[in-house]
Amino acid sequence: MMWSTAAPAITAAFLASLVEVVEAFTIVLAVAMLRGWRPAAAGTAAGLAVLASIVLLLGPLLDRVPVTSLQLAIGVLLLLFGTGWLRKASLRAAGVIPLHDEDAIFAAETAGLTERTHRRQKNLDWVAGITALKAVLLEGLEVVFIVIAVGAGRGLVAYASFGALAACILVLATGAVVHRPLSRVPENLLKFGVGVMLSSFGVFWTGEGLGIAWPGQDLALLLFIALFLGAGVIASGFARKFSVEFAS
Amino acid sequence: MTILREFAAELVGMFFAETRLSAALLALVAATAWLIDYTDLNQLISGAMLLFGSLALLVASVCHTARPRAP
Repeated sequence: MMWSTAAPAITAAFLASLVEVVEAFTIVLAVAMLRGWRPAAAGTAAGLAVLASIVLLLGPLLDRVPVTSLQLAIGVLLLLFGTGWLRKASLRAAGVIPLHDEDAIFAAETAGLTERTHRRQKNLDWVAGITALKAVLLEGLEVVFIVIAVGAGRGLVAYASFGALAACILVLATGAVVHRPLSRVPENLLKFGVGVMLSSFGVFWTGEGLGIAWPGQDLALLLFIALFLGAGVIASGFARKFSVEFAS
Repeated sequence: MTILREFAAELVGMFFAETRLSAALLALVAATAWLIDYTDLNQLISGAMLLFGSLALLVASVCHTARPRAP
């Protein structure tokens, strides 16, 4: 195993999971505050079980796919996903689209859940549990994709899973202490970094899947990361310039 | 069923949130594959096209979204 490949894979899985787990935690916390920890924990456990099943089902299936086809398919998906995150993070950094606000999401989720539970006077815990399940499932889907995608090409799924698990533990431990939405996490900066890494992995795997032998092999990833970082910063700078021109 | 629908929408949105950028990237990958398979062009030139094409498309997409539109 080359650490030049493993380190970005673990870091990407850790940072992406950090972002997604913070988002899921906000909703689970809103559920727990309104209906108690029991439905919140049950919904979270059910969501995690579904996500784990997806990994357990997909893992053995992916082992049967020829490695170049796997690299090409995952590379293209990573390129689409990574540039999507990087694009959005650049626009947010430039102030073109608003930043993700965990406090606002917590307030909106609390209001929405209150309204839903008022409409259905029965099975309130059920509604709360489903809300937590959905949050974990939808936010966790991206984590599962990232873990499989950055890990599958080079047998790094276990390492990437370790990165994701570390992020979960960190967020849950912090959340248990502060007991409120983790709005101070620099989410956009993390998304920017993850977008840079996933886009770089995307180009790397896509190229390898197409038969390109990158000079320096895995070390080429570091160059790609530097280039995508530069492109994201430049794009954000242009976007800020346009938005300032528009405002004046 | 609502959860399944939302799950599917999330899955599609992960890769095609910005349709134009996604379509352009897919076209770039297809063009790179074509160059590698059907021409004698050096692989590294094709690789450079894939890399710098992706970077250019990213910058263009951000600028396109940020650019003010006529009312």
